[in-house]
Amino acid sequence: MMRIWTLTLFLIRDLFRSLAGVVPLAAALAFGLIAFEYGMDQTQYFTVTGVGTGAICLLTGLLLASRANRASSYVLVARLPWRGELLAALVVGSLLITAALTLLITGGNLLAHRLTLEFPSVLWILPTWLPFWLLMATLALPLSPLAGQSGSEIVGWVLLTALLVANDQKARLQERGLDWLVQAITAILWPVNMLLSQASAGIHGRSYFLALALTLAYAGLAFGLAVSSLASKDLLWAE
Amino acid sequence: MIRVQALTKSYNSILALDHLSLEVPDGAVFGLLGPNGAGKTTFLRLVMSLVFPDTGQIDRGGLPPSSIGYLPEQVYYPPRFTVGDYLTTVGKLAGLRGKVLQEAVERLLSQVGLHELSGRRLGACSRGMLQRLGLAQALLGEPSLLLLDEPAQGLDPAGQKFMRDQIVAQYQAGKTVLLSSHHLDEVTRVCTHVAVIHQGQLVRCGPLETILAPRAQVTILTGPMPLDLAAELVSLAPSVAVAEGRVTLTGEAVSRKAEVLRLLLDAGVDVRKLDEQHATLEEVYLEATGG
Repeated sequence: MMRIWTLTLFLIRDLFRSLAGVVPLAAALAFGLIAFEYGMDQTQYFTVTGVGTGAICLLTGLLLASRANRASSYVLVARLPWRGELLAALVVGSLLITAALTLLITGGNLLAHRLTLEFPSVLWILPTWLPFWLLMATLALPLSPLAGQSGSEIVGWVLLTALLVANDQKARLQERGLDWLVQAITAILWPVNMLLSQASAGIHGRSYFLALALTLAYAGLAFGLAVSSLASKDLLWAE
Repeated sequence: MIRVQALTKSYNSILALDHLSLEVPDGAVFGLLGPNGAGKTTFLRLVMSLVFPDTGQIDRGGLPPSSIGYLPEQVYYPPRFTVGDYLTTVGKLAGLRGKVLQEAVERLLSQVGLHELSGRRLGACSRGMLQRLGLAQALLGEPSLLLLDEPAQGLDPAGQKFMRDQIVAQYQAGKTVLLSSHHLDEVTRVCTHVAVIHQGQLVRCGPLETILAPRAQVTILTGPMPLDLAAELVSLAPSVAVAEGRVTLTGEAVSRKAEVLRLLLDAGVDVRKLDEQHATLEEVYLEATGG
């Protein structure tokens, strides 16, 4: 655990000491200004900010993975008994940065009176967002060149984009008689949709906890894929 | 001991190592020689498990990564970290904590002559300083095995001497050092064992003196000697030759020079001149690589 924590701090400092560190800050600033322009209540906050910070988490994970995918990592990786520790550090780093940026977004908009939150129900964001962020942080791993092999990350991006586009075009797909595809997309995205919608509605029943468990399972799957890929990968880095 | 058996590694269609087998004895300073692209760096990366073999086996004697210090061929550093900060991070990854870590970092910075530069940013360090830092990070945690990929690359003569001294110090401390180098003089001075790799294949391997022995020759010019003594000398080793007024030792027989001299002197033979010709590593290297 100490090695993972050491790597996490190193990766975070390395990111924010580079130009790339501006990207998550700019993304958070843009989201905080644009999404909250007309104010936000708690219901919207759960879903809109949940998705927005999830995107920031994915972006941060990709940036951290990109920083780690360089020749300067040889010395660090050489000391690790298990390469998965590097990936774990990337996930922890993504979560920490996302949490810090979310606090800034939330705090800023609370102070600007553009956000109203109700206590204690707002505390449900922790079990709701953390699994979602975890999914985003782990998803960034197989989508990054660090853990990708033979262009697998490109295949991953194509599949993810296709899924999101198809989800957006469900009505058209149904018109064309592709009900099976719509059902498949709905099933795949059910945990995340259910997690955020149930939480925003203040419902925390069996469906909520099932969605939470499935979201964590997705995250575990993404992490496992990345670990498996990196474990057998030749590390041929250049600067 | 590191044992490597039938190691083959290719990158796409390029064969980097071809059924390479060798053993690195404990406590040796083992030099890997070979032209650019011979497979030296690939070999070291395979030992470090940074890349994986297509076929073959590597036995690192059960050493965990934390017990192996590694200096890559070209070390890149995050430019905005300080020297001390960076070493502390690597030290933590090597399992050091608290006061032990702090003392280890300070001791190594002194050892490599960077103690006054602990607060300097890596981006502001010279090539020589970074190479010293590379050695310091490899030595963190007192690893029993050191893998040094071109440790003297880009160093000035003083830097090269410093690096040689450090390697010898590790040898004297009983550590095993596996290094790749283009500096034949450096290898001759510090290595106990040498392997020459050419086009991914092992073409020479063994203790340095054994590698050099086949090309060495000792000629002893003498006065007349009894026939039975001549017969005794010839029976010492196949590569001892006795002609009129001359005893010639070649190859492995060179190591029996003292014994031959003692026999001659004890028999009262007039020893007039002793001429030794030693092969250089450069000759062996060029012969092995067809250079």
